[in-house]
Amino acid sequence: MSGGFAERARDALGNRQLHIALDRTTAQLGLRRATGLASLERSDAVRDRARAAKMQVLRTLPDSLRQFEARLVENGARVHWADTTADANRIIVDIAMTAGVRRVAKSKSMVSEETHLNGAFERAGIAVVETDLGEYIVQLADDRPSHIIAPIIHMTREQVGRVMEQRLHVPYSDDTQTLARYARERLRDEFLRADMGLTGANFGVVENGTICLVTNEGNGRMVTTLPRVHVALMGIEKLVPTMADLDRLLKLLARSATGQKLTAYTTLVRGPRRSRDECGPEEMHVVLLDNGRSRILAGETAEILGCIRCGACLNACPVYRSVGGHAYGDVYPGPVGAIVTPGIRGLAPFAELPSASSLCGACREVCPVRLDIPRMLLALRREAVERTPQPAALRLGLKVFARVASRPRVYRVAAAFVRRMLRGRARGGWIRRAPGMASGWTRFRDLKAPAAETFESAWRRRAAAARKS
Amino acid sequence: MATPRGRGTEIMSDARDVILGRVERALRTARIPAAITHEDADRDGSGDPEQVALPGVALPRTSLQERFVLEARALGVEIYVEPTRAAVCDRLRTLVAGLRVLSWNPTLLPYGCGAIVDGALLGSSPTAEQARAEIGVTACHGAIAETGSLALIAGPGCSPTVSLLPPVHVAIVRPEDLFESMGGFLDARAEAMTQSANCTFVTGPSRTGDIELSLTIGVHGPGRVAIVFGPSELRMKNSRSTNSSS
Repeated sequence: MSGGFAERARDALGNRQLHIALDRTTAQLGLRRATGLASLERSDAVRDRARAAKMQVLRTLPDSLRQFEARLVENGARVHWADTTADANRIIVDIAMTAGVRRVAKSKSMVSEETHLNGAFERAGIAVVETDLGEYIVQLADDRPSHIIAPIIHMTREQVGRVMEQRLHVPYSDDTQTLARYARERLRDEFLRADMGLTGANFGVVENGTICLVTNEGNGRMVTTLPRVHVALMGIEKLVPTMADLDRLLKLLARSATGQKLTAYTTLVRGPRRSRDECGPEEMHVVLLDNGRSRILAGETAEILGCIRCGACLNACPVYRSVGGHAYGDVYPGPVGAIVTPGIRGLAPFAELPSASSLCGACREVCPVRLDIPRMLLALRREAVERTPQPAALRLGLKVFARVASRPRVYRVAAAFVRRMLRGRARGGWIRRAPGMASGWTRFRDLKAPAAETFESAWRRRAAAARKS
Repeated sequence: MATPRGRGTEIMSDARDVILGRVERALRTARIPAAITHEDADRDGSGDPEQVALPGVALPRTSLQERFVLEARALGVEIYVEPTRAAVCDRLRTLVAGLRVLSWNPTLLPYGCGAIVDGALLGSSPTAEQARAEIGVTACHGAIAETGSLALIAGPGCSPTVSLLPPVHVAIVRPEDLFESMGGFLDARAEAMTQSANCTFVTGPSRTGDIELSLTIGVHGPGRVAIVFGPSELRMKNSRSTNSSS
C-alpha cells in the first residue's frame, strides 16, 4: 500500500480541520461514556459477565456457529458461508440477482466496508445507497469512515454542508437539523423503493437465531421492514450464547459508544415475515464471513474477536485523538484496528500499526468487555520483529551493547563518554538534535540532557558520607 | 427435519466445511484468557452480583411508572398520565386531531381508543399511503422502566411501520405493561417473541449525533414520541395475569 502509518499520521497531524473536528468530538464521547457507565448498577459485574459470554462463544465457536445456523434455518432464514471478502460479495450479489433486486438500501455495516460491497453492487449494475447519516455523507463525498460509530468524526459541519450543497444541489447550511432533514427527505424515497435491505449484525444469539441490530436514526428498522429481501452480513465472531447475554451486552454497548442507556432502536430480527404479517421481508439471508477471523482465533490476539465495536477505545486513545481514523489505513481504526487490521489483512503491510500506541492502557480501561489490548499490541510487535530480518547494523549494535553492558568496568567508561558527549550538545538542559543512531529520537522530540552525575555514583558518595559520620 | 443448511448453501457448502474446520484447528492454539473477575458480591456468597435490588422485593408498580416517566422524559418523550379511560380517549383525540392517522388494528388499542382511530390507515394499507401518514398510533407489548423504552412485537395488526414511518408516534400504555428491565421483558415474553419475526425496543425519538455529535432529532423514524398512560385495569379484572417482571 502507498505510504505507511507514519506518513499518514504526519499528514493528519498537519491537518487543522481534522484537529478541530477531533477535538470537538473524542473528548466529548469519552465523557459521555463515563457518565453512561456510571448509570449502570454493578457495572463491573456486568462487564465481567459480558466478557465471559463473548469468550465462551469463542471457545465453543464451531458448535456455536452450527447451532446458530440451525436456529436461523428454523426461523426461515437462509445461511451462507463466505471464506473471503470476494466470496461474501459474490454471494450477496447472487442473492440480489436471483431476487431481481435493482436497488439496495444499506444500514451501517462495518463488515460491508471490509468487503467493499458497494463496489461489487455497482459493478453488477445494482444501485446501492448508505442510509446512516454519517455513512451517507461518506458515500456522497466519496470518502471513507474514520470512526466505528461516528463515521464522519473527521469532518466539520461546514464540510458536511458543502458536500450536501455540491452533491444534492441543496442550499448550503451548517445547521445540523437542516442537514439531517436533507438526508431524511432523500433517503425516505430510497427506503420505499429499495428491493433489498442490507445490514450488519451487532449480535447473533446462538440459542434462538436472533439477529440484533441497533440504530439511533431508525434506518436499521427501515431496511429490515420495507424491502422484500433482507441480507445480514456478519463476521463469524459476532455471536452471544443466550438472550440473557444479549441483555448484558446491550447494557454496555450504547453506554460505551455514546453514553446512552440504550440506542434509540434496538431491533431483534427472527427470520423473514411470518405468514400473517403485514410487512417485513419475504426472504432473509444471513452471510457468515470468515476473512481472516479464524486465523486471528488461532493466535495470541484471539481475544480481539470479542470486540463489540463500541468505539470507546478510539475515543480514549491519545494516538487516535491526534491522528484520527484514516491514518490507520483500513476499515477498523484505533487500538482495536491496530489488532484487527493486521489480523484480517496480514501483518506485513500493517506491521507499523501495533507500534502506533503508547501502551498507556486507556483502551483496556474503557473496553466494555475488558479486552487486554496492550498485551495484544505487544504480541503483534514481537511477531513483526521476529518476522522481519533486522538490519545488520542493528544486530551488530545490539551484540556490542550486550558485551559492553555485561562488563561493568567497560560499561562505566562507555556511559561516561556518552554522557559527556550528550551534555556537550545540550542547550538549557535539552538536546535538540542528537548524533548518529540517537537522531531518530530527536526527529520528533527533544531529549533531556543526562544528569551531571549518575545515580550509581551519587549513591556511592552518599553511602561513603554516611559511613564517615 | 430441517438440515442445518439453507437452500442457498449448497454451492457454498465447501466454504462452510473449510471455515468450520479452520475454526476447530484454530482453537487448539487460540489464546483466550480467562475473565478477570470483579464479582465482589460472590465473596460473601450473597448471590448474583448483577442483581442490586433486594431479593424478592420488586418495585411497586407506581415506582416503575415514575422511573419510566423520568427516563422517557429525559429522552425528550412527551408523557401524559390520564386518570380515566375517558381522559385517555380525550388525550388521544387531541393528539391526532386534524392529522392523517396510521394505526395498529384499532381492536388492539386499550381503553376503547380504537373508536378514535376508526377509519385510519392500517399496516395492511399500501406502503406508499402509510408513508404519507402524519401520526402513528400503537399500544405496546412492554414498557421498560430502566430505559424508558417501548417494546413492540410485530404481528398481525401490529405492523412495525406504524411506529416508524410517520413523523409522530403515539403509544397508549397501561401500567400493567411496565417491566423493570429489558431482561425481565425478554424472560416474560420469550414465547410471544418466538412467534414474531421482529421485536423492536423504541427508546425515545429517532436521533443522530453524526455531525459533530450535535444531537439532531427525527432522522428516519419519528422525531416526536408521545406516550399516554391510562389507569390500571387490574382492579376491574381481578383475576387477570399481570406483566410482572419478577
